[in-house]
Amino acid sequence: MSEQLSASITERLGATGTANALELRGVSKFFGALAAIEDISMTVRPGERRAVLGSNGAGKTTLFNCVTGDFPSSSGSIRFFGEDITAFPPHERIRRGLRRTYQISLLFTGLSVRDNVYLACTGVSRSRFSFLRPRRDDSLMASADNLVHVVHLDDARDTIVSELSYGQQRQLEIAMALAGAPRFILFDEPAAGLSPTERSELIEILLGLPGHMGFIIIEHDMDVALRVAQSVTMMHNGRVFKEGNPAEIEDDPEVQALYLGDGHG
Amino acid sequence: MIDPTQGGPAQGNPGQGRAAAGSPTDQRSWIERVPAGYWILGLILLIMPAVAGDFILYQIFGWSFILGIIALSLMFLAGYGGMVSLVQMTVAGLAGYMLAIFGVSAIDTISLGWPWYITIPLALIIAVAFGTLTGWLAVRTEGIYTIMITLAIASAFFYFTRQNYVIFNGFSGFNGVLPPNLFGVDWRAPAAFYYLTLFWAVLAYLVVLYISRAPFGLALQGVRDNPRRMAALGFNVTAHRVAAYSLAALLAAIGGILLTWQSAQISPGTAGIGPVIDILVIAVIGGLRHPIGPFIGAFVFVLLRTFALDALIAVGLSGERFQLLIGIGFLVIVFWSPDGLLGLWEKLKAARRKDPLLDRGGETPGGQR
Amino acid sequence: MSGFARRHPVWSVIIVIAVAVLLWMMFAIWPKWLTELIGSKKIFLNALFNGITLGGLYFLVASGFTLIFGLMRNVNLAHGSLYLLGGYIGYMFSDWTGYWLIAFPAAFILVGALGIALQFLVFRRMEGQDLRQTLVTIGISIVMADLMLWIWGGDFYNIAAPSWLSGPLETFFVTAVKSSGDLVFLKYPMVRVVIFAASVVIGVGIWLLLNRTRIGMLVRAGVDDRDMLQATGVRIQLVFLAVFAFGAGLAGIAGVVGGTFQSVAPGEDIRFLLASLVVVIVGGMGSIPGAAIGALIIGLAEQFGSVYAPTYAVVLTFLIMVLVLAFRPQGLMGRA
Repeated sequence: MSEQLSASITERLGATGTANALELRGVSKFFGALAAIEDISMTVRPGERRAVLGSNGAGKTTLFNCVTGDFPSSSGSIRFFGEDITAFPPHERIRRGLRRTYQISLLFTGLSVRDNVYLACTGVSRSRFSFLRPRRDDSLMASADNLVHVVHLDDARDTIVSELSYGQQRQLEIAMALAGAPRFILFDEPAAGLSPTERSELIEILLGLPGHMGFIIIEHDMDVALRVAQSVTMMHNGRVFKEGNPAEIEDDPEVQALYLGDGHG
Repeated sequence: MIDPTQGGPAQGNPGQGRAAAGSPTDQRSWIERVPAGYWILGLILLIMPAVAGDFILYQIFGWSFILGIIALSLMFLAGYGGMVSLVQMTVAGLAGYMLAIFGVSAIDTISLGWPWYITIPLALIIAVAFGTLTGWLAVRTEGIYTIMITLAIASAFFYFTRQNYVIFNGFSGFNGVLPPNLFGVDWRAPAAFYYLTLFWAVLAYLVVLYISRAPFGLALQGVRDNPRRMAALGFNVTAHRVAAYSLAALLAAIGGILLTWQSAQISPGTAGIGPVIDILVIAVIGGLRHPIGPFIGAFVFVLLRTFALDALIAVGLSGERFQLLIGIGFLVIVFWSPDGLLGLWEKLKAARRKDPLLDRGGETPGGQR
Repeated sequence: MSGFARRHPVWSVIIVIAVAVLLWMMFAIWPKWLTELIGSKKIFLNALFNGITLGGLYFLVASGFTLIFGLMRNVNLAHGSLYLLGGYIGYMFSDWTGYWLIAFPAAFILVGALGIALQFLVFRRMEGQDLRQTLVTIGISIVMADLMLWIWGGDFYNIAAPSWLSGPLETFFVTAVKSSGDLVFLKYPMVRVVIFAASVVIGVGIWLLLNRTRIGMLVRAGVDDRDMLQATGVRIQLVFLAVFAFGAGLAGIAGVVGGTFQSVAPGEDIRFLLASLVVVIVGGMGSIPGAAIGALIIGLAEQFGSVYAPTYAVVLTFLIMVLVLAFRPQGLMGRA
């Protein structure tokens, strides 16, 4: 009995301590005969911040969908802090500390900013099935308010989401991804469509995240991507094309030919 | 006679569809938040037995409250969960059958005659289990299939009860199913039955209203609008939907027990295909966006059912044309006011509020999916 | 087919064994113990053929339902009413003219025209609103049921089959051996055989139409991906209109068939609506082969159920539906 217990404790310690935050082995996703991503292998350490670059259709968002389980992957294995989550439904992955934002905002447009974040907080808490309304001193409500503050939306806290500006909706997306105790976040083009001021605000938010919180960011804007990321993965036609640190990638002639050259930068 | 539409939609948030109504963080105390219209309506309903006759109390109000509770369970699923279940009347019927089978009825060869404090909880538990199971089957497929699957299950129940004589006593069902003489009151006496059904109707209404703003209800509405996002927030979408079916089944089962007491009988026809569709008609006519809708719908339905006969004969049509009337009324509502009578009322109010200078209505109602 | 065998070896074996047993039961002269166990072979064969022919009728109704559903995501709960209307129209026309065959084009055209009117006046206005469309079909079925009751009353009508169809057909299935050694062959109503053959022809016709013609390709593309079809610039409204008319017309024809097999009466609309629902749920939504398989299964289950377990006949069909939903929610032939 006690042996089992200690074994499971070591397992858990192993799961949180030494293992990689995210480990993909040969992950592929086919839509019919079409391979959206093929044989992706990638390792991200805890706390690491990685940028995924690549042209449209390179498979970046599909990669995210496979990791979070929005679409199950066709083959390969996905490990999250040492635990094999390949067969897990999305909510089980989220409850283990994985988070994501969506490229096209998927927000609850009829609810206020605070209620959106509150919903995100309940989703990863035990009270998600609660039939009781939150009290005034509810801890989830307090953490929701705090997250609203983190993404600089205090002034819009009680605004209905459909009335927010586009940039504010992007910020709200991030707040929702930060709910609970995330261990690793996938940001899907958070800067798309933002004004220069909003971009710098976004960079500030991303750089302000606690150091243990690793993330992968899909970003077309090299300025944003390379300022927040310590490492870069280039994807092309559904495969990993190059991996390296920002400087290497920026100087790589192949990458320049493929990506920077064709008018994206 | 009072018209509940007067009091009903006068509450809080006109035109605020979806999940927007009343934030869970509303700072006022709950008494302050109840609008005046509700107090007036409540008072009228409380003193009703002093002025209304037995027939009105028992047949009109009693029946309206009961059908309202069952339709409310559908409104909860359809309005908040986006799942149009046609199985609610069946759940109600099953609860009634369980009451008759475990409890006392005139068919003493089948009825076990157990006391009410065992029978009623047992009936509720079995009905909820059935509703949960149905929900589990129905949520395995996407949206619009629900209506097909639940209709098929509902008719299966109807045919089964009609064919099975060992447990369900076949075509004739059970009669003589009476409420217990609790506190020495004859609960089928008009005034007593009126208060009994009123109590459960109000309770069911308040529970649904409360839960709609509690985390469970909020999440249910989130699942309705955006299941993928909800899963990405850590919600188990399937479990949430099935749980909604369980809660709806509990409401429907309460309605079913009251319905059985009202007519003192339960038979396959109680949950036949006609009544199953009637519940949908009631909920849609009333409005699926707010829990008061089903009660308005039920009241209108019962009035029509009771008095349309005379009205039809007065204009030279056979009283049998009642179905035609209901069908056309239903079509008119679905065509011109997808939010039911409640939606019509809100449109009317919005039109009155229109600012002639800005030419803007109140808030725009959120579009139905 | 071989793909199925490779993916599901166990199921393939079970299916092969079942078919073999069935064939043996159909063609062999039954040993005594089998007759003692489940009754005479004649009863079995009758149930089998009744089930298959009933399946043919169910297929006619359900194929229109599933086509409309697959393309437009419209659960047409007025489909049973279209069936019943077809029956009444068929009865009137065959009664007036004295020609049974007239009933079919009459029902197809008139009910198909009603389908066009419904699509044009009602469903086009609420495009993309699945739920509202379905609610409207409920309203329409309530109204139609009452109108038909008003016009034709509560009587049972039977569409008389012509004399060349009314006799029995001597089949080559041996039901028993007389003590003299003569073989007794099964006699089966000619009209059922002909109608079943006709539904097979119609089924194959639909399949060819869907798989070999341009409009069929459009419809199939639309079933797979409506947005894609819309994006290709096809006049999708015309395709919708054609499919709705065709599906409704099929329901009308099925009404004539049902009126000849059985009878035309109030309440049949709901019965056949439910049959279509169950067939389509079991077979797979939007799939024509699925409708065929589902119709066969449900027809057989109903007939065998009513012969061998009369109290639970109806429940058996629903039990099949529940099992399919539990283990294969997209239906036997449906895609996940």
